[in-house]
Amino acid sequence: MRLETRRLLDRAFSGLGVIAIGVMALALIVILTPIIVKGSGAFVFRSTVEHRKVMFDQWDRGNPQRIEADKAAAAEARQPVYDMLSAFDAELKAMPRKERSLYKKPLRELEKALAELLGPVPGEHTPVLIRQQYGATRWDRAKIKLDELLYTEDWDYSNPDALGVLVKTPRVEQFRGTALEPLFAYIKENISAMMRPRWTFYWQFLFDTSKDSHIFGGIGPEVLGTIYLTLGAMIFAIPMGVIAAIYLCEYSREGRVVSFLRICISTLAGVPSIVFGLFGLAFFLNTIHISNSKSVLAGSLTLSLLILPTVIRASEEAILAVPHSYKEAALSLGSGRWHTVMTVILPAALPGILTGTVISMGRAAGETAPIIFTAAVSVGRPLMPLEALSQPTPALPWNIYNLSTEHEAVDEIRHVQFGMVFTLVALVLLLNLFAIVMRARISKKLRG
Amino acid sequence: MKKAVMSAALMTAVAFTGVAEDKIVIDGSTTVGPIAKAFAEYFMAAHPGVNITVSESGSGNGAKSLINGVCDIADMSRPMKNSEFKAAIDNGIQPVAHAVALDGLPILVHPKNPVQELTIEQIRSIYTGVITNWKEVGGPDMEIVVITRDTNSGTYETFEGLVMNKQKITEKAEYVGSNGAVRQRVQSTPAAIGYAGLGFVDKTVKALRVNGIYPSAATVRTGEYPIARPLFMYTNGYPELGSAVYQFVTLYLSEDGQEIIDEIGFIPVTSY
Amino acid sequence: MSANTSRLKRFGALLGQSLLFLVTSLSTLTVFFIFYFIARDAVPFFKLEGFREFFTSSSWYPTGHPAEFGARAIFFGTGIVTLGAVVVAVPLGVSAAVCLSDVLPFNVRQVVKPVIEILAAIPSVAYGFFALVVFAPLLQNKGGAVLAIGAWLILAPVLALLVVVVSDLTADRFSDLMRHKVRWILILLLGGAALAGMIALGRHLNSIEIISGANALNVAVILGIMALPTVVSVSEDALQATGRELREGSYALGATRAETILKTVIPASISGILAAVILGIMRAIGETMVVWMASGNAARIPEPWYNMLEPVRTLTATIAGDMGEADHVTGSARFHVLFAMALCLLAFSFIMNLVSEGIVRHSRKKLGK
Repeated sequence: MRLETRRLLDRAFSGLGVIAIGVMALALIVILTPIIVKGSGAFVFRSTVEHRKVMFDQWDRGNPQRIEADKAAAAEARQPVYDMLSAFDAELKAMPRKERSLYKKPLRELEKALAELLGPVPGEHTPVLIRQQYGATRWDRAKIKLDELLYTEDWDYSNPDALGVLVKTPRVEQFRGTALEPLFAYIKENISAMMRPRWTFYWQFLFDTSKDSHIFGGIGPEVLGTIYLTLGAMIFAIPMGVIAAIYLCEYSREGRVVSFLRICISTLAGVPSIVFGLFGLAFFLNTIHISNSKSVLAGSLTLSLLILPTVIRASEEAILAVPHSYKEAALSLGSGRWHTVMTVILPAALPGILTGTVISMGRAAGETAPIIFTAAVSVGRPLMPLEALSQPTPALPWNIYNLSTEHEAVDEIRHVQFGMVFTLVALVLLLNLFAIVMRARISKKLRG
Repeated sequence: MKKAVMSAALMTAVAFTGVAEDKIVIDGSTTVGPIAKAFAEYFMAAHPGVNITVSESGSGNGAKSLINGVCDIADMSRPMKNSEFKAAIDNGIQPVAHAVALDGLPILVHPKNPVQELTIEQIRSIYTGVITNWKEVGGPDMEIVVITRDTNSGTYETFEGLVMNKQKITEKAEYVGSNGAVRQRVQSTPAAIGYAGLGFVDKTVKALRVNGIYPSAATVRTGEYPIARPLFMYTNGYPELGSAVYQFVTLYLSEDGQEIIDEIGFIPVTSY
Repeated sequence: MSANTSRLKRFGALLGQSLLFLVTSLSTLTVFFIFYFIARDAVPFFKLEGFREFFTSSSWYPTGHPAEFGARAIFFGTGIVTLGAVVVAVPLGVSAAVCLSDVLPFNVRQVVKPVIEILAAIPSVAYGFFALVVFAPLLQNKGGAVLAIGAWLILAPVLALLVVVVSDLTADRFSDLMRHKVRWILILLLGGAALAGMIALGRHLNSIEIISGANALNVAVILGIMALPTVVSVSEDALQATGRELREGSYALGATRAETILKTVIPASISGILAAVILGIMRAIGETMVVWMASGNAARIPEPWYNMLEPVRTLTATIAGDMGEADHVTGSARFHVLFAMALCLLAFSFIMNLVSEGIVRHSRKKLGK
C-alpha cells in the first residue's frame, strides 16, 4: 500500500472515531432537546384568564382585585357570546317543533365546544369535576379548542370502495340565518380579549399537588416521593457499602473468600432492575412484612440493594486513591488499624465516596422497575417523614409511565408529562454535575 | 445540643400529629383506576383529614391486596374468581362487591373507513384471522390490521370472554399496552380495528355499530350493546356505616359520583 | 502495657473485623437471597407446566382456557432487541473509546467525557418516554425518511472510505505512469456506483411505510444509546490498560496510528472490549421501562424473523406488565411463570458475568499482570 493511502486511512480512521463521538453527542442533543423545550413549557407558558382563575380558586394565589378585574374584562368580552346564545334560545322557542329538532344536535355540540374553550356558562350548574369548571388554561390549548369550535369535521363515504375523505366545514354553516351566525366571527376576532393570554412563570409546578388527575396543578407529591425514596435508599446503602469497601480494601487478604465476594458484588450489579422489584415484593413485602402494603420503606430498601454494588465500587476506588503515605505515616505513629481507617483513611476518602454515592443517588432517583411493586402509587398525598415507613407514595418515574400510557386524557396533559420528565432529568443531572465538580476539586487537591 | 434535641423532638411530634387520622388504601385495576382517582380527589377535597392512595397495579394485584388485608378497597375490572374467593375466606376476609359503573367496549376503526357496522361473528372472524380484508365485510380492499389489548389487561379478558367465545386471537394481532395506545394506533392506521373503553371514543376514531347497536350509555345500560361489563370495587365485608370507606364506596350512588363517572367516560349504574 | 489489655485489644480488633466481615458478606450475599426468592416462586411453574412448552412453543395465552405459556417468542423478542442494541452500541462505542483513548487530546477528552456521563445518567423512564412520545410517532409518520437518513449516515462514510482504498489498491498494480490516472478513474467509477446504490437504497427505504412506531427497531436504537456509555467507558479502560510500551514499539516500527491501534492495541485489549460488550448486553437485556413502553408488546416472532419493524415483546416487559393481573394468592401458573422468566434473566446475567470475569482474568494472566 502506498504511504499516502496509509496516511489517508489513518486520517479516515481518526475521522470515524470522531464521527462516533459526534453521533453520541447528537443522540444526546436529540433526546434532551424535546425534553428540555417541551418540559419547560410546563413552567413557562402563556396562560389564559382561566389559569389565573384556577390558581386563585384552588390555591388562593394572586391579587384578588387584579384577578377580579381580569375576570371582569374577560367576562365583558364574553358577554356578547352568551347574549347571542340566549337570543338563539328565544328564536328556537318560537320555531315549529320540527325545525327546532334540527338544531338540537348542532347546538349541543356547539355548547360543548364552547365549554371546553371558555368554561361553563356563568350562572349555570357548576360541574363536579374541576376540569369542567374551567375553560382552556393554556393559550396553546385554547387555540386548538378554538379551531374545534370554528370548524366541524365530517367524513364523506360516498365511494364505498375507497377510504372516506375528511370534510372540514365552518361550523357557522349549521347556523346560517340564525342569531348565532355572527357568533363565530366574533369569537375569532375577540379570542384574545376573551382569554387574555399572558406569559406566566409557574414555578409552583414543582411543589403544588395535582388536582383532577394532573389536569391542573403540579407534581409536588411526586417530587417529594422521589426525594424520600432516594434518601431512604442512601440511608441503607451508604453504611453497608462503605463498610463493605473498608473491609475489602483494608482488612481482607486476597483469597478465595474475597474473590467470591467480588463475584457476588458484580453479579448483584448485573441483576436486571425488574428482578429487584420482584425480589422486593417477594421478600420485603410478602415474607418479612416490613409494612402492610407498598411503602416508601420497602421501596427504599429495594433501591438500596440496587445501588449497593455501585456504592461499594465507588467507595473502594476512593479508599484506594488515598495516598499510601497517609496510611503508612499513621501506622508508623503507632495508631491501630481501626484507628487509622477511622481518622486518616476515611476522612481523606470521604469526598471520593460522596462523589460515587451522589452518582448512585441519581440512579436511585430515576429507577422505575424496582418501585412498581414496592412503593409507587398513582395518587396520594405528600407524606410526612414518619408516614414514609408505612405508606406508599407517588414518585416521578412511575407517574411518568402512568400518565403517558394509562391516563384517560393523555394528549391533553402532554405538558405535565414533559414537565415531569424534565424535572426528573434535571434532578439527576444536577446530582451528577455536583459529583463532577466535586471530583475535579478532589483530583486537584490530591495532585496539589 | 439541647436545642437540637428539643427541635428534633418537636419535629417528630409534628411528624406524628401530621399523620392523617384516616387513610384509605386502594389497589387494583387500571381500568377502574380513573374512577378511583377522580373519586379520591373529590373525596379528599371534601374530607381533608383522609389520605387516600390509589395504586393501579392490576385486578389480580388488587384481589391479592384485599385478601392479604393490606388494602381497604380492591378495584377490579372482572369479578373475583372462585379461587380468589376461597383464598379470601381462608384468610378471614369476606369480599363484598360494589358494582360502581358499567363500561362498554366499542369496536374502533379509523374514521376514514367507510364500514359502519359489524356483527359479533364478523368481529370474531376478524380477530381469529378468518377475515383478513375489509372487502369481506363491505369495505374497501385493504388488509385489516388487528389491534388488541395486552393479555394482562382486564379489558382483554372481557373482550376475550364476550367476543372470542374461547377461540384464540390471531397471532398477527398487535398488542398494545393501554386503552389510550389502542386509540393512538387506530387513529394513525386507516386499516386498523381495535377496542377500548367507551371513554376513549373521540372524533379521531370511529365506533362501529355491533349487531346494529351503537355503543352509548343508553344501549350499554339496557344490555342491547353486547360488549359491556360492570366494574367493581371490593371491600372486606360491607364497610361500617358512616366510615370513610363506606362513604367512599357509596360515592357512586350520589349525584356527584354519577356525574364524575359519566364525565370520565364510564356509565353510571343508575341515572337520575 | 499489661498483657491483659493487649489481649482485650486484640480481641476487640478481631471482633470488629468479624463484624465488618459480617456486614460485608451480608450485603454481598443478598444476591443469593435474590436467587432463592426468585427460584422459590419459579419452581412451582415448572412443576405445574413442565419445561417443554415454556421454551419451545410460542403461543402465549396466559388467560386462555386452558392457558398456554409458550415463551419462545418472548425470548426471541428479548434476543432480537438486544442484538439490535449491540449492533448500534458496539461499533459506535468501540470507535468512540478508541478515539477517546488514542486520538483526542486531553482537553477535548475532558469535554467529551461529560457527554458520556450524561447519557449514562438519564433515567430509563426518560428514555422510554422519549421512545414512546417522540421517536415512535416520528417513525410512524416519517419512518421511510428516518430509515433513509439513518442508512446514509452509516453507509456514506464507510463506502467513501472503501472506494478510496479499493481504487488505491487496484491502482498499485499498474505501472507508475498510469497509476495516477487509473486511480482517479476508479475513484470516479466506484464512487459513482456507490452513490447510485446509495440513492437507490435511500429511495427504497424512503418508500417503506412503518405501520407501528412501537417496534423492535425503535427499542433497539434507544437501548443501544443506553448501552453506549457502558461500552465506551469499559472498553476505554481496557484500551488504556494496554500501556505505552506496546504503542511505542509499534510506532517505532513505522506503523501509523491506525495500524498501531488496529493491529496492536485492539488485539491486546480484546478481552477488555469483549467484557465491555458483555456488560452492554446485560444492560440492554435487563432494561424494563423502554421496552415496556415502546416495543409494542406483541408476543410473536416477526415475519420474517429479522423484520425489526414489527412489534416484539421482551421478558422484562412481560414481568412488569403481567405482574399486576396475575392472581398471586392462588398460586396460579400465570403468577409463577413471571418468576420463571425472572429466573431465566437472572441465570443469564449470572453466566454472562462469570464469562466476562473469566475473560478478564484470562487476559490478565496472558499479559502477565
